[in-house]
Amino acid sequence: MTIKSINGCIGCEECVKSCPCDVIRIDPDSGKAVIAYPADCQICHLCRMYCPVDAIEMAPEKSIPVVVPWG
Amino acid sequence: MTTQNHSAGPTRRAFLALSAATAGLASLGMEAWAENRVAIDVDAMSNSDLSTDVLVIGGGMAGLFAAVKAHDAGAATMIVSKGRLGSSGLTPFGKGFFVFDPETETGTIDDFVETVSRSALGTNNPVYTRQVAEHSLDRARELRDWGFFDQTLANRPFMRPIDERGIPLMERVVITHLIKEDGRIAGAAGFRLDAGETVTVRARSVILCTGAGGFKPNGFPVCDLTHDGTVMAYEIGAKVTGKEWNDGHSTRSVNPAACFDSWGDMFERVPATNGVDVHHDLGVDINYRAYVTGNPVEGGPGAPQPTEEIEGGPYVPQEFQHSGPPGGGGAPGKGGAPGKGGAPGGPPPGFSAGSNVGGASAGMAIHKSEGLVPMDARCASNIPGLYAAGDALGSHMAGGIYTQVGSSLAGSAVQGAIAGEAAAEYARSVDAPTIPEARIAGIRNEILAPLRREAGYGPAWVTQTLQGIMIPNFVLYIKKGSMMQAALAYIEELRDHHAPMLRAADMHELRLAHETRNMILSAEMKLRASLMRTESRCSHYRLDYPEPDDENWRAWINIYKGADGSMQLEKQPFGTWPA
Repeated sequence: MTIKSINGCIGCEECVKSCPCDVIRIDPDSGKAVIAYPADCQICHLCRMYCPVDAIEMAPEKSIPVVVPWG
Repeated sequence: MTTQNHSAGPTRRAFLALSAATAGLASLGMEAWAENRVAIDVDAMSNSDLSTDVLVIGGGMAGLFAAVKAHDAGAATMIVSKGRLGSSGLTPFGKGFFVFDPETETGTIDDFVETVSRSALGTNNPVYTRQVAEHSLDRARELRDWGFFDQTLANRPFMRPIDERGIPLMERVVITHLIKEDGRIAGAAGFRLDAGETVTVRARSVILCTGAGGFKPNGFPVCDLTHDGTVMAYEIGAKVTGKEWNDGHSTRSVNPAACFDSWGDMFERVPATNGVDVHHDLGVDINYRAYVTGNPVEGGPGAPQPTEEIEGGPYVPQEFQHSGPPGGGGAPGKGGAPGKGGAPGGPPPGFSAGSNVGGASAGMAIHKSEGLVPMDARCASNIPGLYAAGDALGSHMAGGIYTQVGSSLAGSAVQGAIAGEAAAEYARSVDAPTIPEARIAGIRNEILAPLRREAGYGPAWVTQTLQGIMIPNFVLYIKKGSMMQAALAYIEELRDHHAPMLRAADMHELRLAHETRNMILSAEMKLRASLMRTESRCSHYRLDYPEPDDENWRAWINIYKGADGSMQLEKQPFGTWPA
């Protein structure tokens, strides 16, 4: 899931700007952050750390299969 | 100096609505070849045409200092970043900043340079090794004034000097092309992530602070860096070095992509300075052990480190042996890395479970060892007016192995400042560049081509295919001629028959398409340089040439684009500047 959920968003866009991989966008209808491109999340937690209202909950699982050197 | 002309285009709000509508489709974008369901009217896209004296590309530690020092030297300066200042690339995750403070160090700078050179087996450029020590204290003092050492997140302290100087900053703009005219740099071009708009910047001088990159690997926060600066510069004739080195950071076998969890509380720490502490670290030792003996099922934080000797493997100078546990210590930051000991019986709190798995940063070399070949001690490339700093410059400050703890972040600050002053000086000596309109139109077509394809390969699928070719331990880390030739055949196939047919449905996927193409070229560079270096040294290990070969290989490898468009390689002896 990477970013597990966004609850209590105030629409400040801090997470959109601070995500290095452009995973989060603002939904134009609700004005709140949505997980637009979960496959590209690198699970670095910057969005969670920049969020001023602790709205973002993370999970350690990637949403797509991962390639590692062994295992 | 800065001008802006907007032609008609969709408003930001309308554009975001389009993006959100297609986000569901894009998130499923693992399809290989498919119809391109484009959400944008490409023909209606506008172009933003800007100009400046010095253009800084990249918003990390190097970009910050490059912009500040170019501005303070009197040049009209602009920063463009595909992310956010202080919140993209590797800068947000570096918590250790090396400072050589003559008041507290017991040794001299000469001692420091000699120790690094012994550890690096001659692969370091001692001019750049000395430079980081000489300038680190001044840069740390400036960062302290801006509040960098008082917080976890770098954006606010980085914004202070930029706001104070009124330096124009464009964030979430992806630069894809450097422009060369009349034999010198003339500017750069790219596109906005948040608008259907291309961007052209005419500049007398350009500083690449674009970081290094990887193959969007799992377990290291480098997935936004794809060697963009290196590839753009290569395309206009710049020389590139250091591609055969490998960064040896590891991740965890359970949820390997969860890089935050692999580093304990490190990403939430406040940055701090540290003094001289030289290692020979984070090469491919654990990769060799896993290749020869199989990986221990349990290992890493909380488990005993393997102590039995195994035959062969990467050469470590006697004085640097057992200086740290495998995969531990070193960048980014001091201590706290995976592999550091902990309570027996399981990982310490905050670390994810499982054993260590190497290759967390696959596709990345040792910090400061790969990138543009420096022509002098002031970060100049072989393209007049084009400079690079930090991980975009192949300064070999540390060498082909990690030597000084915390020098990655400090080196970016020091080199950024030097490049900024050099670029401002160059900009004063030349006229504003002239770029023909036809040239800009041609570049725009190249930028937007993936959006115009009616069908094509999905960038996510091509990236995963590339990862499957390059990332296995027996290809990228424990190298053999035959295996690398096989991998090269696959990569050439991606280069010739997939890169030209990448599709993009929106601006996010357009970024992925360009990043994917850059990773393909980077993979080719890594394989060709690794094939050429018929020896083992530092973080480059060949099973078929397992020993250092001082007679033939006290030399760096430079890569450049030949007259026929093919990739060419040449040797440059250690301790020399390019001819």
